[in-house]
Amino acid sequence: MNRRKFLSLGVVAAAAMPATLSALTSIDFRATKPDTWTAHNVADSIQKLYGDIKMEESGVSVKAPKVASNGGAIPVTVKSDIPAKSVAVFQDANPEATIAVFNTDKDTIIDYMFKIKMKKSGTITAVVEGQDGKFYKGTMTLEVALGGCEG
Amino acid sequence: MGNMKIKAKLKGDVVGVKAMAKHDMLTYDQAKKKGVDANFITHISAKVGDKVVYDVSTSQFWSKNPQFKFKFKGAAKGDKLEITWTDLSGKTVTESKKIK
Repeated sequence: MNRRKFLSLGVVAAAAMPATLSALTSIDFRATKPDTWTAHNVADSIQKLYGDIKMEESGVSVKAPKVASNGGAIPVTVKSDIPAKSVAVFQDANPEATIAVFNTDKDTIIDYMFKIKMKKSGTITAVVEGQDGKFYKGTMTLEVALGGCEG
Repeated sequence: MGNMKIKAKLKGDVVGVKAMAKHDMLTYDQAKKKGVDANFITHISAKVGDKVVYDVSTSQFWSKNPQFKFKFKGAAKGDKLEITWTDLSGKTVTESKKIK
């Protein structure tokens, strides 16, 4: 384990501690896991965020239009009934892979919709970090007719 | 008003929230072409009272003027929902809305 990873784990642990007292705490994953946001592929991003993990392909649903006519605003819905610690969403069409990391607790309803942009056709991957310490994933592959990153 | 649109509605014991933040969400590539600095929302957090009900760290790949929806339990009609976003430049915007 390198020094940076070790330090960032400490920050997460410190930030997560009050969570047992109140409900959710606010965690800035951009500050605690800076490397996740600059990684260029999904596997790397997941590794930077969660370490070397095994994922079960169940319990997580990712929904998006099969063919997105406008890559500039693609509605993505992520759902899961798994009591989770966090939920992370990635895709493989853009220069960097990470789209969002949600901070959740066991009472959080995981039913998130948000609009994203994708440069080309690709796959969206959602990873749920369960309260049980296991990881679950769901994917959705879609076609993008008109890329959304050229501005 | 103007920076964010929020709708929050109680159905049964679940509050459904629809929101839209006004932001260009300029990626690094887009910003380079325009010759300006990249800027996008990096964190969105929603609270009822002092209880956080939605908390997400975001990337430049959320769409321009990103819309987002979420659900949570444990609030009543008339409670104030407060959503705050922060962008890369450090700007923070907070809007609140009463739950209907």
